Amino acid sequence: MYFAGVDIGSTMTKVVLTDKAGNLLSFIKGPTGPEHRQLANEVMRQALEQASLQIDDISYIVATGYGRLNVPFADRQITELSCHARGVSSLFPNARTAIDIGGQDAKCMKIDKGRLASFVMNDKCAAGTGRFLEVTATTLAIKLEDMGEISVKATKKIPISNLCTIFAQQEVVALLSRGEKLENILAGLHDALASRVAALARRLGIEPDLVLTGGVAKNIGMVEAMNQNLGCEIFVPEEPLLTGALGAAILAKETYVKAAAAGEALPTKSRRLEKATFFSQEYR
Amino acid sequence: MSWFMGIDIGSAYSKGVITRDFELVASHIIGSGANYRESAEAIRTELIRKVDLTQNDIASTVATGSGADNVYFANQKASDIVCTARGINSVFPQARTVIDVASQSTRVIRLNEEGTVINFTVSEKCAAGSGRFIEIIANVLRINLSDFDPLAARSRSPITFSTGCAVFGESEAITRISEGIPKEDIAAGANKALASNISSLVKKVKLAEPCAICGGGALNNALVKTVESELNASLLVPQQPQLITALGAAIIATKPGISQSIKKRNS
Repeated sequence: MYFAGVDIGSTMTKVVLTDKAGNLLSFIKGPTGPEHRQLANEVMRQALEQASLQIDDISYIVATGYGRLNVPFADRQITELSCHARGVSSLFPNARTAIDIGGQDAKCMKIDKGRLASFVMNDKCAAGTGRFLEVTATTLAIKLEDMGEISVKATKKIPISNLCTIFAQQEVVALLSRGEKLENILAGLHDALASRVAALARRLGIEPDLVLTGGVAKNIGMVEAMNQNLGCEIFVPEEPLLTGALGAAILAKETYVKAAAAGEALPTKSRRLEKATFFSQEYR
Repeated sequence: MSWFMGIDIGSAYSKGVITRDFELVASHIIGSGANYRESAEAIRTELIRKVDLTQNDIASTVATGSGADNVYFANQKASDIVCTARGINSVFPQARTVIDVASQSTRVIRLNEEGTVINFTVSEKCAAGSGRFIEIIANVLRINLSDFDPLAARSRSPITFSTGCAVFGESEAITRISEGIPKEDIAAGANKALASNISSLVKKVKLAEPCAICGGGALNNALVKTVESELNASLLVPQQPQLITALGAAIIATKPGISQSIKKRNS
């Protein structure tokens, strides 16, 4: 008995396969991109190959993320908030707060007994999301994944006075041309983003343990900046991009086991790996 | 009667005018570039050349805009709010509200019967509320800013942007292009989004008619029309809307006592 979680995010598509006990068999990450959103099947095919499984071996499939309706072979759709909360608490049983900073939004979740209890999110303004860093990385022609390593060398933080990502980008260029050091500017940028996400999290109320996920959690400079802004220890999973897909796979298993125990037949979708032929507008 | 100079160094463009008897006799606009001091110098040189004068013929120069400090030869600096108010008052003395749509911010200023600033508000935190949003979308559509207006005017069904953020709006425009939506509908949609932000800003200071619009954004007729329908009011548009603030600076140079204090700040 195997289960799958498919998380179609705005930037990355993630697939996690687990066995009956919830052990991770394989995971695959790929860029979502505008056309790749229709290619959830390709990412799934690769994950199956890695685990030496066939699509028919999968008992139940849950899709999540903002592109979750574009997964024609998924049996059920669950919001990414529930999936993240479930995924985080499976890795960190003591987690009470989870903060996920992605390429398009930032979510703060409270977890109670392993489930999502409440949340706040920002998907209105790029300045409070990973996009803030992405835009600057592009402008400075540095790799997003190098930003953290560069910023930890900083000797001071240069405050970024503009809130808007567009204006901050301009400010960063001006700071560089004034001769400020890249690492000090990046430390300022991380602090600016961290202070906005921390303000969002405070609206919800922060309870330890706190887990940071999403692509931004891979940035060591951001983890440090969040630590300074929140003043508490921050746990980061080994694969911070995967908690949503992992949660989806665990919820798939739980849905399946519950139905089996009650003797109910669960409706499942056709197990053919087809391209989605529609573009969902609903959850944009 | 002598000549007066007004120089407005903005984040995107630097504008300069020479006036005589409160009438505009020469103007010059260049991109601000990375060195505002050089831009200010270039504008002065070109303005003086245009009217065939020497620097000594200029009785006084007033600098304004975010880069006003770089106009090292100015006799005085003035707030851009006061300069815009002075400038619009000289062109449209009847105006009680003026909307200035610039690249970095949008400003809405309320004037009383004497043309004195009684209230104003500025959108400076967010690029979605300024002309920058149009620049970003023009860039996505790979068109010149000057082609934006005629393009948007052709649209029959403008798209609705689902986001209030310029960065997310840029991605949304790219998605719409990949879906095959015509460029004109995306351009008109961007105008609609900016117009709606501008009109919320106007509502903060309460619209009093007649209302004028200036700044580089006022060159975009389709945007002006969209703002008009959002506000349900017709707008006065000066001939060279991007020069109004520089013109106001030159007027303040002529009559220093005219520069008044601002009674209330609301931003």
